Amino acid sequence: MTHFRYTLLGRLLADPMAVVAIVIISGLVLAAIFADVIAPHDFRAMNMADRFAPPSWHYWLGTDNLGRDTFSRLLQGGRIALYVAMTAVSISALIGLVLGMLAGFGPRWLDNTLLFFFDTLRAYPTIILALALAALLPRGLSTVIIVVVVTSFSEYGRVVRTQTLSLKNAEFILAERAMGASFGRIVFHHILPNVLGPFFILAAMNLPVVITIEAGMSFLGIGVPPGTPSWGATLKDGFDFIRTTPWIILSGGLPLILVTLGFTFLGEALRDQLDPKLRKGR
Amino acid sequence: MTDHRLSRLFPTLDRRQLLAGAVGLSAASALPITAWAQGTTLNVRSYLEPEDYDPLDASGFLEEMLYGCIYRKLIQYVPGDEWAWQNDLAETIKQSSPTTITFTLKPGQMWSDGYGEITAEDVKFSMERHMVEENNSRIKPDLGPFTHVEVTDSHSGIIHMERPFAPIWSIALPYLAGTILCKRATEEAGGKITTAVPPTVSGPYRVSEHRLGERWVLERNPDYSGAAPDFDRVDIIAIVDESAAEIAKEAGDVDFTAIGPGSVQRLQENPPANSQLTLHPALSYTWVGLNLNNPKFEDIRVRQAIMHAIDVPSIMQAAYFDVAEPSTGIIAPGLIGHREKTLIPQQADFARARALLDEAGIDRLAIKIDVLNNVTATTSAQVMQAMMTNAGIDLEISVHESGSFWSLGVAADGERWRDLELTFKRFSMTPDPYYATAWFVTNQIGDWNWEQFSNEEFDRLHEEALSETDNEKRDAMYRRMQDLMEESGAYRFITHEVTANLYADTITPATRPDGLPMVQFFRRA
Repeated sequence: MTHFRYTLLGRLLADPMAVVAIVIISGLVLAAIFADVIAPHDFRAMNMADRFAPPSWHYWLGTDNLGRDTFSRLLQGGRIALYVAMTAVSISALIGLVLGMLAGFGPRWLDNTLLFFFDTLRAYPTIILALALAALLPRGLSTVIIVVVVTSFSEYGRVVRTQTLSLKNAEFILAERAMGASFGRIVFHHILPNVLGPFFILAAMNLPVVITIEAGMSFLGIGVPPGTPSWGATLKDGFDFIRTTPWIILSGGLPLILVTLGFTFLGEALRDQLDPKLRKGR
Repeated sequence: MTDHRLSRLFPTLDRRQLLAGAVGLSAASALPITAWAQGTTLNVRSYLEPEDYDPLDASGFLEEMLYGCIYRKLIQYVPGDEWAWQNDLAETIKQSSPTTITFTLKPGQMWSDGYGEITAEDVKFSMERHMVEENNSRIKPDLGPFTHVEVTDSHSGIIHMERPFAPIWSIALPYLAGTILCKRATEEAGGKITTAVPPTVSGPYRVSEHRLGERWVLERNPDYSGAAPDFDRVDIIAIVDESAAEIAKEAGDVDFTAIGPGSVQRLQENPPANSQLTLHPALSYTWVGLNLNNPKFEDIRVRQAIMHAIDVPSIMQAAYFDVAEPSTGIIAPGLIGHREKTLIPQQADFARARALLDEAGIDRLAIKIDVLNNVTATTSAQVMQAMMTNAGIDLEISVHESGSFWSLGVAADGERWRDLELTFKRFSMTPDPYYATAWFVTNQIGDWNWEQFSNEEFDRLHEEALSETDNEKRDAMYRRMQDLMEESGAYRFITHEVTANLYADTITPATRPDGLPMVQFFRRA
């Protein structure tokens, strides 16, 4: 039986950067899950008498222009951010995984075609593509997810393709082939497990990027509809009144900073542990 | 590096040279301060850029602001608190019959850059070109039943109309359509002034440079025949965002800007140094419109329920910071046809709305509102969304950028106009009720009439009111027209808004009664 400290989780818990990441991410995830319980106010409730209220014991992070509690809205915003991030990253990662392996294993023409496709998508500036898609599609979380998927799956595809190409001619794969192993066995038993390491690192690093894209789109008014308590919408509400009530925009930025730090630390720690070249002390 | 090279880069100074340099620097630094204090450059913020210098392409006040500086008209609005007009190019002008206006031009009024004197031929050319179909003049409706100008001599003429047209004095002549262009210069330019700078001007300023997306640089027109303006140079600076404009004002980058209602209270309580804030009741009108041809709204009880579920005072408080007043229609106070009150009270009545929906057999109603992506519109929509749930109405908010939004109800831009539900809109206005009702007649469906409101009595009254010269009768007609609009259940009137201007106390601005700037009349304080 493997000792716990030699498992991935054990090794991560021994890394202070990973511990900080896990604490931040766990806190955000728990806050999002239990938002309804933790929130001191109804995030939708407007109270015009208390609008633009500064942070206080009653309103921890103050209120916005419609008298809605900023803290309660940020908790709900966490749900939206995590939902968009997890959904978009999962879909784009899955598409990237399939296309990347096809490119790596397929004939040269297919590889070239997919590579051209990946590079074309990657060359297009994310925010411009987002603006174009947002103009064509109805506004909402689904559009945000589609934008993120379209702009990011090629990155996964490229990583998987590169990994697959380097593995498919490796000696142990050639040996497997020589022994008559099926295509499915080679892919699922040998290639996939070796591809997943960098793949997960990329996914972890991409989660905050996706959250920032959603926030950016909502800030520009092309993301979630008005009234939806996304972090970007809170930033937008705060920006309109930045000169009189700066706490709204500061509060809206705080979770974005935390989530970026958390997932970036986690990605770094995962890379340290999963990339054999960087693994230390063994 | 050798000492010689260093000394070339950093020349050494003796004490006398240093003192002389310091004195010189002090004198030099005082120069711009003196120039600034004299206010030789005026910086005015504009929120959009006009397309070109041709009134054919003009659509609203932004062109008027620029054209006012570089072109002239027969008559022009008088700056101040009362709507009135004064002679500009016209020495005399009068209504000689219900369908004719006789004018005589002041002698010696010159075009710049050697284009000679302004003549009656220029007046004829400038007005008649709006009526030419292929010119696609956007402001042709401003001229109503105008037909032609009869030139009686080089400086006199008669304006002819098919029938009496009451707004001729309040819209046609003193606003965009009354702008006089130089016939020769326009013809030389190919029939339209789309050049980088106009070939000739007649106003107090001329365009010296247009930095696309940034500013117009205007300078004194040396050939201007009127009193010389106070400023050597006027920069009209394009700043879209009101908050950014406010920051630019406080940084001293602009001398005059309109600000949003959200800043008014703060600036009133803590006025910025060396600045003045003024508020003016605006003429524009904002309303929630409902597409009468959408099957969801076939039943008038559904339409009335929606109108009863919109609480106008709450919108005033949340989106307009109680700076503006709720409106009673599309015609602002002070104008002919203004109504004192609405048919449906401005306060929401959720119980009544719920009862109407019950009568219509609807448990929960899901509807959508299209709004512009600006803080006033989105805040108003959010207030409506929150309030409507009290009546069992779920309101979805759809936000659009300007280009997308203003094509929603236009038939030429696709099929979206047919499926529209609710829209939150704001139209600008001139000081005549004709300009308000013109957009809601039947033939405007698929263009500006997004509610697809079609009422024979309304259309007839609109035509009759155009020619009605008795103000009392006209007033009654326009009141009735707004009643008809409201009775249709397609309109919930919100506000006429307020124009809030922030300006440096080194200038004395001139504005129309609705607060819009007339830059050509700005003076140093």
